[in-house]
Amino acid sequence: MLFVLKEGVTGFIKARLAGFVAVMTIAISLTLIGVFLLITVNLGKFVDFLRSRVELEVFLDDSFDEERIDLLGTEIRQIDGVDELTFISKEMAMLEYKKLFRDAQADYIETLGYNPLPASYRVTLREGHRTATEAERVFTTMAEIDGVGENNVVYRREYLVRLEKYINSAIAVDFVVGTIVCLSALLLVSNNIRLIILSKTHIIETMKLVGATPFLVRMPLYVQGMIQGILGGIISAIFLYGLVGLGSLKVPGILTADWRIYLIIANFGALLGLAGSVTAVRRYL
Amino acid sequence: MVKIQRVKLRYSDGEGLEGVNLEVRDGDFTYLVGPTGAGKSSVLKLIYMDEFPSEGYVQVDEYNSRDVRPSEIPYLRRRLGIIFQDFKLLDDRDVFENVAFALRVTGVRRKDIKRRTLRALAEVGLSHKSRKMPNLLSGGEQQRVAIARAIVNEPFIILADEPTGNLDPKTTVEIMNILDKLNARGTAVLMATHNFELVNSSTKRVVSIKNGRTLT
Ligand SMILES: Nc1ncnc2c1ncn2[C@@H]1O[C@H](COP(=O)(O)OP(=O)(O)O)[C@@H](O)[C@H]1O
Ligand SMILES: [Mg+2]
Repeated sequence: MLFVLKEGVTGFIKARLAGFVAVMTIAISLTLIGVFLLITVNLGKFVDFLRSRVELEVFLDDSFDEERIDLLGTEIRQIDGVDELTFISKEMAMLEYKKLFRDAQADYIETLGYNPLPASYRVTLREGHRTATEAERVFTTMAEIDGVGENNVVYRREYLVRLEKYINSAIAVDFVVGTIVCLSALLLVSNNIRLIILSKTHIIETMKLVGATPFLVRMPLYVQGMIQGILGGIISAIFLYGLVGLGSLKVPGILTADWRIYLIIANFGALLGLAGSVTAVRRYL
Repeated sequence: MVKIQRVKLRYSDGEGLEGVNLEVRDGDFTYLVGPTGAGKSSVLKLIYMDEFPSEGYVQVDEYNSRDVRPSEIPYLRRRLGIIFQDFKLLDDRDVFENVAFALRVTGVRRKDIKRRTLRALAEVGLSHKSRKMPNLLSGGEQQRVAIARAIVNEPFIILADEPTGNLDPKTTVEIMNILDKLNARGTAVLMATHNFELVNSSTKRVVSIKNGRTLT
């Protein structure tokens, strides 16, 4: 056991250039994977953000009295998938309208003598219901409520459908890129270990000749692969940390990184180093 | 005991061994002599089971080429001491560590490693150079390190593949003397060589090999 650790560690130290190349290969592969993960996570957050803005608005007829409006509110609240309900009075609607079109001189109340904007309920959807199909279902249910009707419920249907198309293609691209990145990382690493094995043919041959068990021939290579993987993981975590720092300097708030990403990357490094040495040992020993 | 019976060996590109019979009893000193390409190295490979016969069998103590399991081969090799023309020393560690290597990778306890390594080095007369790196030694000294590594596990036989092929006549005698001494202590030796002169000047048993066939 001691021999395994010692050979593994000294093998790593003695590999010098080859070892350095191997560590950097893993570091770069992991940085690519890390960048990919960061983009995926942030893409997910951005998608969540876009989805959270999905909102249905139910316009209320001017003839409804307070009781009727309350009743409607209760009914809407009971629809599956409805999260929050905000009542917008006629006055608030006008206020918003004025805010929105600051330049428009038109003052409806002055011109018309009354406020033409209807009161409304703004309805947000619960997480998991912020999709085109769910929004459409809620829309239909709302429209069926007595005194509402299809014409009085609006939401950005087109926007949501288009958003989903974009999200789906983004997920597909993300998946393809992720697969390519992971595969090429594995390929790079196992190619590296292959080179290390070639550089060790002499010692491996000698071990076999004097009767070392296959276990003992392989273990130091695994240990070496692990060390390289962990070091590569740490270096790439530092890279990523720098990249995220740089990224959020340029575009504050866009990029966020959980500390767990660094942990995942470091562990993934060890795994990659081990997987690389195992595949190479299987193939070339 | 080593016994090779009616063995044929086929390499992927043809040419191998056509018919080999050979027996080396415990304590024997046997030359395996023949020109380059005759099949000497192949015979030794059969014995340490790096190659397997396509016909016939090889018996080494209780291990038979017909039914040996791959997991048993390391244990078979621990009973053999193998040396080559090119020494095959590890140049990343000193003489002591080269010899100790054979013990470390076979799970010998640490306190035994030092004792046995020093004894093997004394046997080949290299105690005073145990902390030298191999590439600073002469060819003869390097071969003596290789012999020390081969005997440190106390093999019953030494398989020597042209051990003097790279050495001058004086050094050759030195190496032969060491092999003789080890043989006198009871270790069998099977030495492959194409040096007919060396063989003819000796009184030891000789097995000739030519074109993959042993002659009797
Ligand atoms: N690994 C191999 N693959 C194919 N042919 C080989 C291999 N090793 C040896 N041979 C062939 O087998 C024959 C015997 O070789 P070898 O045993 O090395 O002879 P020697 O040691 O007497 O010089 C030669 O013709 C050689 O070319
Ligand atoms: Mg040969």
